[in-house]
Amino acid sequence: MSIDAIYAKLTDIFHDVFDDASIVVQPQLTADDVDEWDSLSHIRLVLAVEKKFGLKFSAAEVGRLKNVGEFVSLIQSKAA
Amino acid sequence: MQQAQVLTLGELAPGMQTVVDFTVTAQQMQQFAELSGDFNPLHLDDAFARGKGFEAAVVYGALMVAKVSQLIGMRLPGRDSVWASLALDFRKPLYVGQAAQVEGVVAEVSESTGMVALKLTVRAAGKVLAKGSAEVVVGR
Repeated sequence: MSIDAIYAKLTDIFHDVFDDASIVVQPQLTADDVDEWDSLSHIRLVLAVEKKFGLKFSAAEVGRLKNVGEFVSLIQSKAA
Repeated sequence: MQQAQVLTLGELAPGMQTVVDFTVTAQQMQQFAELSGDFNPLHLDDAFARGKGFEAAVVYGALMVAKVSQLIGMRLPGRDSVWASLALDFRKPLYVGQAAQVEGVVAEVSESTGMVALKLTVRAAGKVLAKGSAEVVVGR
């Protein structure tokens, strides 16, 4: 799956999880940039990504993510 | 005080289930009325409830939810868990003094997030009174 395709799908997921269509999903985006991005919405985000992309992550993989760019890299490596 | 069961994320698997038996008493109904401020006679006055087509005063739905709380907090997953969401559809009334059971079945376990999805069913006399689901985060 191409990077662009991952970002497009991820954008839909972000807009749905945070109920905010104005969020611009880009590599440097972090939880600090989105008001609603708390621990529970983070769980919902990860679950939604697992479901929509048909992937499973480990707690360690999710725990070390620092921004959306790293999340996209993880998705790409798993989807390969 | 009763001790809560402690199930870790690794010990949880789809299909695991538990049942809490309960019977709501008239005293508990009165206590909940005072706690909630909901003195609707449908819940407290048998004659009024019968006039509305019910067999007797109807147990507060929140008291079924209270038993879901017992199931999650004490049994499945128990101590190290906290609710993230709850949805419960009430289909039939439960009456005071009527024996009932709430059943919880693990539907999904997410290793990456610690989230556990439970299917919930409340039954009495073999009939389903309420069905729903809960999401619970299990501490690591």
